[in-house]
Amino acid sequence: MTNARANRISKSMLNEWYWGWFLVAPTIVGLIILNIIPIGQTLYMSFFKSGDFGKGNLFVGFDNYRKLLSDDQVWHAVKNTLLYAVMVVPTSIVIALIAAVLMNGKLRGKSLYRTIYFIPMIAAPAAVTMVWRWLYNTKFGLINYGLSKLGLGPVDWTTDPNVALVSIAIIGIWSVVGYNMVLLLAGLQEIPRDYYEASEIDGAGKLRQFVVVTVPLLSPALFFVLVTSIIQAMQVFDVIYMMIDIQNPAYDNTVSLVYLFYNNSFKYSNKGYGSAIVMLLLAIIMIITVIQMRAQKKWVKYM
Amino acid sequence: MHTRSKLTTFAIHVILLIGACLMIIPFLWMVLTSFKSVAESTSLNPFVLLPSEWKWSNYSAVFKQNNFLILYFNTSAMIALRILCSLLFSAMAAYAFARLKFPGRNLLFGLVLFQMMVPTQIFIIPQYLMVDSMGMRNTIFALVFPGLVSAFGTFLLRQFFMGLPKELEEAAKIDGYNIGQVFVKVMLPLARSGMVALGIFTALFAFKDMMWPMIVNTSSSAATLSSALAKIQSAYSVNYPELMAASVIAIWPMLIVYVLFQRQFIEGIATSGGKL
Amino acid sequence: MKKKGLSMLLVLMVLMAVVSACGSSGSSSSSDKETNQAPAVKSEGNSDTAEPKASGEEVTLTYAMWDSNQAKGLQTIVDEFEKENPGIKVKIEVTGWSDYWTMLEAGATGGSLPDVFWMHSNEIYRYASNDMLLDLSDRIKNSQKVEMDKFPTGLTQIYNFEGKQYAIPKDFDTIGLWYNKTMFDEAKLAYPNENWTWDDLYKAAKALTKNGKYGILTPFHNQEGYYNFVYQNDGTIITADKKSGYDDPNTIEALKYYINFIREGLSPEVYGDSERAEAMQNGLAAMGFFGSWNLSGFTANEYMAKNFDVAPLPKGKKQATIFNGLGNAIAHNTKHPEEAWKFVEYLSSKEGQFRQAELGIAISAYDGAAEQWVSSNTTFHVKAFVDMVKYAVIRPYSNTTAVWEDKAYEALKPAFTGQQTVEEAAKNAAKIMNESLATEK
Repeated sequence: MTNARANRISKSMLNEWYWGWFLVAPTIVGLIILNIIPIGQTLYMSFFKSGDFGKGNLFVGFDNYRKLLSDDQVWHAVKNTLLYAVMVVPTSIVIALIAAVLMNGKLRGKSLYRTIYFIPMIAAPAAVTMVWRWLYNTKFGLINYGLSKLGLGPVDWTTDPNVALVSIAIIGIWSVVGYNMVLLLAGLQEIPRDYYEASEIDGAGKLRQFVVVTVPLLSPALFFVLVTSIIQAMQVFDVIYMMIDIQNPAYDNTVSLVYLFYNNSFKYSNKGYGSAIVMLLLAIIMIITVIQMRAQKKWVKYM
Repeated sequence: MHTRSKLTTFAIHVILLIGACLMIIPFLWMVLTSFKSVAESTSLNPFVLLPSEWKWSNYSAVFKQNNFLILYFNTSAMIALRILCSLLFSAMAAYAFARLKFPGRNLLFGLVLFQMMVPTQIFIIPQYLMVDSMGMRNTIFALVFPGLVSAFGTFLLRQFFMGLPKELEEAAKIDGYNIGQVFVKVMLPLARSGMVALGIFTALFAFKDMMWPMIVNTSSSAATLSSALAKIQSAYSVNYPELMAASVIAIWPMLIVYVLFQRQFIEGIATSGGKL
Repeated sequence: MKKKGLSMLLVLMVLMAVVSACGSSGSSSSSDKETNQAPAVKSEGNSDTAEPKASGEEVTLTYAMWDSNQAKGLQTIVDEFEKENPGIKVKIEVTGWSDYWTMLEAGATGGSLPDVFWMHSNEIYRYASNDMLLDLSDRIKNSQKVEMDKFPTGLTQIYNFEGKQYAIPKDFDTIGLWYNKTMFDEAKLAYPNENWTWDDLYKAAKALTKNGKYGILTPFHNQEGYYNFVYQNDGTIITADKKSGYDDPNTIEALKYYINFIREGLSPEVYGDSERAEAMQNGLAAMGFFGSWNLSGFTANEYMAKNFDVAPLPKGKKQATIFNGLGNAIAHNTKHPEEAWKFVEYLSSKEGQFRQAELGIAISAYDGAAEQWVSSNTTFHVKAFVDMVKYAVIRPYSNTTAVWEDKAYEALKPAFTGQQTVEEAAKNAAKIMNESLATEK
């Protein structure tokens, strides 16, 4: 009797196993071939002094990592990258959340708003860089012009070591709000209306509804936005690469880990050291993500 | 009950409008620059916003240099196939990760997250070597290749599936549906907003990626809009008006796709909310 | 109903994709060249996967480059070459500067380099020392058309590795003194000329600095900046035995002269590449240093075309300008070495070089061809660029140029911002650069 039941359970369990494996198979196989193997190669490379074009690699053990630990620039980059994430992630999520909630209600022209808020994502990177360079320009820029009308001195937005990272973060926030907003809007659609109606019957105000209904039910989407925003922020590269050259006095205060990796791997052809930098970045992101996975049990409500 | 007071509505509009102005600046700038002369485009005087003379010739020059028909073709083919792959495979995997229990689940999901943590630049040369060894350079397949599966999509849809109520599934199971049927007939329709969002992002990421197409499809007949655009920015001097004209030409399809897709959000309310 | 709409959209997109996947090969061959009559044309640029052709069949070469401005003109040369050499087709492929090197690197690693491609002094060592390029020495020796002694020795040397010639110079570039004629007129100053000295430059800069405008732009840039002054002062950046020249007193003196413009407020502090050009294009600075490769961009800019002209660089202890040049190289494993050589031979021949100059594509490196180029641009007195070749100095390079150039930038930065004396910064730069050079193979 007990035996038969165990058998039956295990049969349906087995069935679930097979379905599970079958459903994840394409993605996992694809990821292994496309991504995991290259990551393995990168890890492997980080123990070598790289030759050119994949030839003549020289095993050096932990030399690259030792060099990494004593390289000031790497620590600048770690600090800048983390600071950037701290500035960009919370701000952009809060703005996006407010925008998404406002646009989700009954509001005239909301689909127009939605489109406009998405535009920074589609605009050509060259246009984006051009506009911001013009806005930030010390002599002719619009921002400094506005400041001068208020009697404030000109700010070197992109060359002052104390300011440049903030300038970069502003661009980062501006360009990622639309992304977060679309995800949160999509998440809001999953919340059944009955919940709002129920809470309205209970006499909850809008603000209370937001706290009691919206945030908990949106938490899976919020969690996704948080995790991916942090990862994206930690990989910041494009804007810094386009705005800050090595000659820039603010270079040390803005250089990011991916920028350093890019320079070492592609500009200086030092793939081994570049790989070690990637591994450091990976380690940092992994620690942060694992903490988030643990912490999600505290605040993310899955139904 | 649903109506807000007029004052609140007004305040909301003001807030959203300020945001909208900030968001739309680069786009307007792009359009304005595309009609300027080269000298005007590099002029930084804050008051010269409008071109003194609207130069359509920037557009005709761009049209002459590029075969936009082919570029649109390649780009939309790449985007369509990437959307198809990422929606299909990601939804499958995401459902399994969200709802099924099977050995290795956490480990494999860790693998998915792991992929997202690595800067994409490290994949370019290994993936190039794969495409090259298959003899598939300068093809549509090469453009689609890095997007065959999507860790981002898997994670995104997993979150959506996890946010859905379990009751429906259980009811379906009692009705005798097997796991595959539950997935296709019950869960997929419910995760629609997530799928639409994923579709939008897949399209966007594919559209904006210029490094990969540039490197793997060097032939101009196999280029995409963004990789062809990148060539206009030469190493030394940039003809901004022409570059912006090309960007404006390139951007419209993307904007239309977005507007079409975002309607699906609103429809999403009707389906998922209505049934419950 | 609504679901149908979405799936219809998807089906439609897939259909489009399939159609275009099939269509792209067909459309490409028609777009490539209208004059394409050969029936057995292979579609797309897969010359590297094509089997070796029997005689009489058509061979398609790929010619990779990074400058789309030049691509237009070079297409004309290619057309002419194809007419003269039936059976050989050349396909130009442009990739933007930084992606170009990633593309080549990927190609070199995977064994699928373009047949013919541009080489640069910063990268030649890696490609030559790893046998990625076809050794052209014997072919040059046996060629009727290519005469290496007609090219400046400095340029041919760049592409010569351990006695073997791996690329042939295509063109060269020099740095000129660009000046705003209108601002000179307003200040009632005579325009710069080939006899100008450092003193003249300084005086002019001083006279032109007023009303928030600067007389000169001395940016934190090596090739289009202080390198020129270092060599004008008999200094050096890298010595023949591969040691840093930053601690050379002459080098330091030149740097002091150069940076002094910023300290005295005669030049704005400018650090970025685009900011440099913008400072000129917005009339912020009256004089600046820019290489000949900016010509097409400056010509297209109405403000620059109207107000600017170019003169040779001023004279310090001697005259000097930095020059550099690209080379045409052939992949070591090209499937069509004979055809590729025929093409490179044509590009490097007197005829090809003169044609390139005539069409205004670039300053041809071939002796005498540069004069042809001068008449291709009537907007500016571009002869200055050609006149300077006599005393031009090759851009300093070694096997790891990109590495120590950036390290030197980092070390010199405090001198430009004024946080350190020029001496201290230069000595530090020398030290760091020597450390970097010591690890060089």
